[in-house]
Amino acid sequence: MVRLFHSFRWAAACMVLCVVLFSRVSLGEEPSAQAPAGPPAEPEAMGGPPLIRRLTESQYRATIADIFGPGIPIVGRFEHGLRADGLLAVGTSQAGISSFTFKQYDASARGVAAVVVSEARRGQLVPCQPRSESGFDEACAKQFVQHYGPALFRRPLAAEETQRYVRTARAAQRRLGNFYQGLEFALAGMMVTPDFLVRIERTVPDPKRPGRLRLDAYSKATRLSYFLSNSTPDGELLRAAGAGELDTDEGLARQADRLIASPHFEAAVRAFFQDMLEFDTFGELAKDPIIYPAFNSTVALDAPEQTLRAIVGLLVTQRGDYRDLFTTRSTYLTRALGTVYKLPVATRNGWESAQFPAASGRAGILTNISFLALHSHPGRSSSTLRGKSIRQVFLCQTIPDPPNNVDFSVVQDSSNTAFPTARDRLEAHRTSPACSGCHRLMDPLGLTLENFDGLGAFRAQENGAAIDASGTLDGQDFRGGEGLGQAIHDHPRTPRCLVDKMYRSAAGRSATPEERPYVDYLNQTFQADGFRVPDLMRAIAVSRSFYAVSAPAGAITAPQRAAIQRSNGGRS
Amino acid sequence: MYTIRLCGALAVAAGITLLALAGATPAADVQTSVFQNGQAGFVVSHFAYALSKDASETGACPDGMTSGYSNPGDVFVSKPELQRQEGETEDQYNRRFYGQAISDPSTKNFCLNPELGKPDPTFRTVTGKDVPAEGIDLDGQDSHIKGKVAPGTGAHDDFRGMHGERGIDNQFFRVVGCSKSFQSTGQSNTFEIEMYTGSWGILLTLKGVNDVHNAKDVEVGIYTNADPIQLSPTREALPSATYAADQDARFRATAHGRIVNGVLTTDPVDVRFHWIVNGIHLERPLRDARLHMTFTPDGGLEGILGGYTPIDEMYDLQYGFRNGKDAKGDPAPLKLRALSSIGQARVLEHTCNGAYFALKQLADGHCDAKTGVCTSISTQYRLKAIPAFVVDTATQSTNASMDKL
Repeated sequence: MVRLFHSFRWAAACMVLCVVLFSRVSLGEEPSAQAPAGPPAEPEAMGGPPLIRRLTESQYRATIADIFGPGIPIVGRFEHGLRADGLLAVGTSQAGISSFTFKQYDASARGVAAVVVSEARRGQLVPCQPRSESGFDEACAKQFVQHYGPALFRRPLAAEETQRYVRTARAAQRRLGNFYQGLEFALAGMMVTPDFLVRIERTVPDPKRPGRLRLDAYSKATRLSYFLSNSTPDGELLRAAGAGELDTDEGLARQADRLIASPHFEAAVRAFFQDMLEFDTFGELAKDPIIYPAFNSTVALDAPEQTLRAIVGLLVTQRGDYRDLFTTRSTYLTRALGTVYKLPVATRNGWESAQFPAASGRAGILTNISFLALHSHPGRSSSTLRGKSIRQVFLCQTIPDPPNNVDFSVVQDSSNTAFPTARDRLEAHRTSPACSGCHRLMDPLGLTLENFDGLGAFRAQENGAAIDASGTLDGQDFRGGEGLGQAIHDHPRTPRCLVDKMYRSAAGRSATPEERPYVDYLNQTFQADGFRVPDLMRAIAVSRSFYAVSAPAGAITAPQRAAIQRSNGGRS
Repeated sequence: MYTIRLCGALAVAAGITLLALAGATPAADVQTSVFQNGQAGFVVSHFAYALSKDASETGACPDGMTSGYSNPGDVFVSKPELQRQEGETEDQYNRRFYGQAISDPSTKNFCLNPELGKPDPTFRTVTGKDVPAEGIDLDGQDSHIKGKVAPGTGAHDDFRGMHGERGIDNQFFRVVGCSKSFQSTGQSNTFEIEMYTGSWGILLTLKGVNDVHNAKDVEVGIYTNADPIQLSPTREALPSATYAADQDARFRATAHGRIVNGVLTTDPVDVRFHWIVNGIHLERPLRDARLHMTFTPDGGLEGILGGYTPIDEMYDLQYGFRNGKDAKGDPAPLKLRALSSIGQARVLEHTCNGAYFALKQLADGHCDAKTGVCTSISTQYRLKAIPAFVVDTATQSTNASMDKL
């Protein structure tokens, strides 16, 4: 009896928690005010705390490629990032570096350094030639350190730092008897320092707002560069930072526009959506080969790429409306994917653009394999996982994990003829009060995708019973994947969620309560610009708020003060 | 409906002709759903000689089974020194046997030169009475050696079908039916090993099918597959994959057909497929080939492809590999051809000259009206095909780059 009571109390608590969490997020993110007439104006910059953010794997790889050129092999394996507030980009400011990861960074650094000074590459990558390979050429070593130091640390090196790495090169040369091996050790040393592996944001007083802080020029350049190119600041951006150009609206806009126009911008958009759509988990996706014979490693590789191509094509190439991602029939296919979609793909070894046929029931990225397969179980689809992901990923709503005493036996037995379809099984499952609260939020969305099995292939029936793909989203009734896509397209939270996530990704943290007016401003801007993602990213990149820091001026350290003086030409 | 638009869009955009489409449209009738605009494509997923039950069950071989060369050295035309010497171990003999046979071009063997030999009475053929055989009636006659012979065909005894059908022409079964390697546990009727590694494949297309149960004018495409077959992790052929038809006209054929009460039959047409043994590229022709297939519940087809194989080409693709080529189309190394044919004769226990003369003796097709000499042998294949997309576009083979290695 006591146990029963506890179970009931726990179930009731879960239901309440689900409703409360959902309501809190729902209400908390409604538009705060009606959009004013005319172009929206940026509110006073409030900012948040400066962060230390670890480079993501894609940023690390892009950074190495940009500094040393493509084709530099990177050995070592990267452990999974921490997903916080729905994004790995936020987790980069919260996760530490384990000893395993540090060993991988070390192996990678040694590998890169060895290639840079190798006989085959040194003529191209070492900016000077030593007087003798067996002796130590201090001038050349200094030139080498000063050449790569700013690129790696994303700021100029202090004289003491330069000397430290020159000394490292000298010591290694003495031990090993070879100048290039000395350089190799110096370079590897630079690549395992926090200055390279993490983005350390430094602050200076904001001269326009006495008593407030802002990022220093190089931290600005770093934030801007990783946001708009997913890579390290290039030479031009570092130059502009050094020249103080990023402290002017015009200079900042010039650099932002340059980066948006560069080929690297596509990489930034891809990186953001790869993170938002949780594609990092695709590497571990498993499907039962008996149930889903068309699933293989090629499908697992091509599925996220299909969605990313559709995103880049619509948002970057066509500069289309973000919401159309949920309704577009335009897509890209390989033959491996065509086997699952049951569509012909003439191109033998590559991608071709295609259209989902009107009768296919598919429209938008929610009907892509990347979403349908990722949010399913290895042997069956999951309306609950799909519904939960739609709420969390695209509407920024929170659904708590199920309580640990839930009986899943009914939903897991997909061969039970008493409950032939997922809808039947979930209805039986929802009779439990512990489950009904959250399932009411998830299932009506996920069930509309039941015409797609656990891999994403179309099916009209399950266990011989016709599938009912009707559903509802916040009072709007619809049917099937197309109806769901249109409902998400039309939902007011859809663009707001993207704005929220885009800012979280750019800043490495969620917006503070003080920044809500700024987020509202971004929402208004996004809407005014026709929900174009490049315009949203530009609006963030050129806003003062993006570089503002909330820490009080009294917290400025002595080195920061010295840096301020340097950046101000010696003036405090 | 969507496939019509898709077909047009692809054809315009990519400059290709979409030969056949299977759709994603939900439909109760799977067979019907694979057709879009009266068209459908298929990839052959199972392919084998249509023969019979094992000789031990049917009594097909009252004189016993073929046993091959009694002495391995008998495969050579002359060279008595290639016989096994007294006291020589099998391993020593094998090394000497193959070494000398390959290193000495003057060492002629019966596998590459079967015409230098003579009929081999130990090469048994099917002579049993009332032995059933798979296949279809190719010549329209219920033929018997002493009975009426269809024009252009030779005198031969027809088989009864596995279900009592009459007039089954399957002389190739008569040739191989007493070979151990062609019994159900043998190694000679395992086409799918190479087919599933992507070495070769067959595509079918149907056009003009508005009713899968009855259609008067059906255009049937029979093509060599230019792409490797797509398989599941458990090595089952995947439906709905896309394949390109071979662009070489020799490997493409179109036949007129019809569907009557759910049975697809076609008029005779010459077809030709690829075939690979030990990396030796060969061709598998079938003259006057015709299909006799039914639709399966999963939307596929199964049935018989029957026709006549020219004698010399049948000998080459099955026994001698004399005309085998490498991947570039040049003659395959003599050593490889000789080793493969001689080695196969030893392992599969047949004599090359025995097979050659049996084929000639039992030939029943494309006969000279004056001399009565027939140049081809009735050959039947069992096949299954599953829905696929067949595109007719010139693209590089997946393995094209490997050919340059």
